[in-house]
Amino acid sequence: MNSKRLLNQRNLLMLAALILAALVPLAFRSDQYAMILMTTVLIYAVLATAWNIIGGMAGQLDLAMGAYLGLGAFTAGTLLIRWSITPWIGMFLGGLVSMLFAMLIGFPLFGFKIKELWYALTSSALVTVMQVIFLMWNGVGGPTEVYLPTRISPLYSLRFNTYMPYYYILLVLLVVVIIFNNRIRYSKLGYSLLALGEDEDAVEVLGVNSQASKLKALMIYAFVCGIVGGLYACIYGYLHPSFFSTNMSTEIAILGIVGGLGITYGPLLAAVLLVSFREYLRASLGGGMEGLYLAVYAVILILIALFQPRGLAPLVNSGYRKLQTFFGELRHGKPADVESH
Amino acid sequence: MENQPMLKVTNLTKKFGNLVAVNNASMEVYPGEIVGLIGPNGAGKTTLFNAITGLYKPENGKVVFKGVNITGFLPHKICKLGMSRTFQVTRAFLHMTVEDTVRVGAYNRRNEKNVLAKVDEIIELCELGDIRTRVCGDLGLAQLRKVELARALATEPEMLLLDEAGAGLNATELSAFMTLLQSLNKDYHITFCVVEHVMQMVMGICQRIVVLDSGELIASGTPSEISHNQRVIEAYLGKRAVNYVN
Repeated sequence: MNSKRLLNQRNLLMLAALILAALVPLAFRSDQYAMILMTTVLIYAVLATAWNIIGGMAGQLDLAMGAYLGLGAFTAGTLLIRWSITPWIGMFLGGLVSMLFAMLIGFPLFGFKIKELWYALTSSALVTVMQVIFLMWNGVGGPTEVYLPTRISPLYSLRFNTYMPYYYILLVLLVVVIIFNNRIRYSKLGYSLLALGEDEDAVEVLGVNSQASKLKALMIYAFVCGIVGGLYACIYGYLHPSFFSTNMSTEIAILGIVGGLGITYGPLLAAVLLVSFREYLRASLGGGMEGLYLAVYAVILILIALFQPRGLAPLVNSGYRKLQTFFGELRHGKPADVESH
Repeated sequence: MENQPMLKVTNLTKKFGNLVAVNNASMEVYPGEIVGLIGPNGAGKTTLFNAITGLYKPENGKVVFKGVNITGFLPHKICKLGMSRTFQVTRAFLHMTVEDTVRVGAYNRRNEKNVLAKVDEIIELCELGDIRTRVCGDLGLAQLRKVELARALATEPEMLLLDEAGAGLNATELSAFMTLLQSLNKDYHITFCVVEHVMQMVMGICQRIVVLDSGELIASGTPSEISHNQRVIEAYLGKRAVNYVN
């Protein structure tokens, strides 16, 4: 009974946050910088939430985000440039391409039981390999930037003058990904992934096909990255092999870890707090000393790793519980029974 | 028990480089039995278990379970057929709660609709009600062993391999554990093969005992036969002890 109420309260909280997120851009409509910032935060939030499936739940330190994002971007972008296919369709096709690519990569990787550091290294290398391939592939632009056409209507080609539409598209995507993430977490796949993240042999003898479970997780994650990739190309308005970025891939993994492994809202929380903080630092420190913002950002990450190794989400959770106990006391005159769910 | 063996291991050999961990071992377990697998440290008991449950691929030999040749099967397929196991060093899902851990196993034969009923049933059966929402990382050894048994039971196996499930338990915990195993054997018709060092448990619940030494099977028989077997005494205590005992 109590856990249900807690869940309802949490959902209410999420709903409030969503309404707030939907209203905020209206206030900053004329502030181009704020809009860029919020859109960037959302891109990272969607990607980090998707990463949570493979990295947080399944415990695979995946650093290949850029490979899937790049593939999605090039698929959606090239479809628009060559065949005038709208990115509304293109981004889902991009997601599909990324997903199939993830299947090709994941099948042998998981089949040969490559995990932990070796998985991290392999997935990181994948991004670089993809970048080199696309640098040499002149058919889709090679090393030069290829611009997406603007001659068709903005709604058809997803090429807007402002960031506002992108913000809302990403917000919808974020909500879908979070709901999906939560669904998975409390399903057979979610329980299996959490358990295999801890001990693969032990979970196998309980009848869980760990290879198939990990492959599913990787494919779902790659699908989301591919969709975001399609949007990414439209937002920036061009295609370039630098989309296959190892930096960004690592950053997504960091957000997932700092947010709290396996906790649905963790990466979202980390993305909102850390990415906006990083951008704020970049804006306020960037003028005088270039690069200083990254140093400060890194120190913050180290501090979190040192003092909150299980991530930001548990910190917020316990704060939330304390608040609940406090209000429970006010209401009933005694501490409320706040069992964890 | 003159029917077909539930588990039949034939001439199984498992090597690690030059080390022959299990050498040409053959054994059978019949439906409804509790068979003890004993032997000195390093005799290859756990390796044999790993080869049977699919964690290792044997170099040679055959494992047949319920008439199906399962040699080289992946562990999850073997579990689907009805065989699960526990581990010598408990391998709990340290960040998961007890009920979630049991749930992982229960999905073996249940879907989303009826998985919770199984979880509740197993938790009651194993008397884990008090700690069902606790995280496994916070539990003591005796509780962890129970959780490991519970999650294996949740897969609804016909046969369970227990790898030193009694190790580290005190006298009270051990006798409760033995009672539970016997009831599972009688009321739930689960066949057991147990690797055990705790002689009180081996002698107490096993109908038949198989002895492994340096990778080879050296004896098989009832508990009283085994405790008087010369080769067994020799393997455990050395050659001179045989004279001393006799």
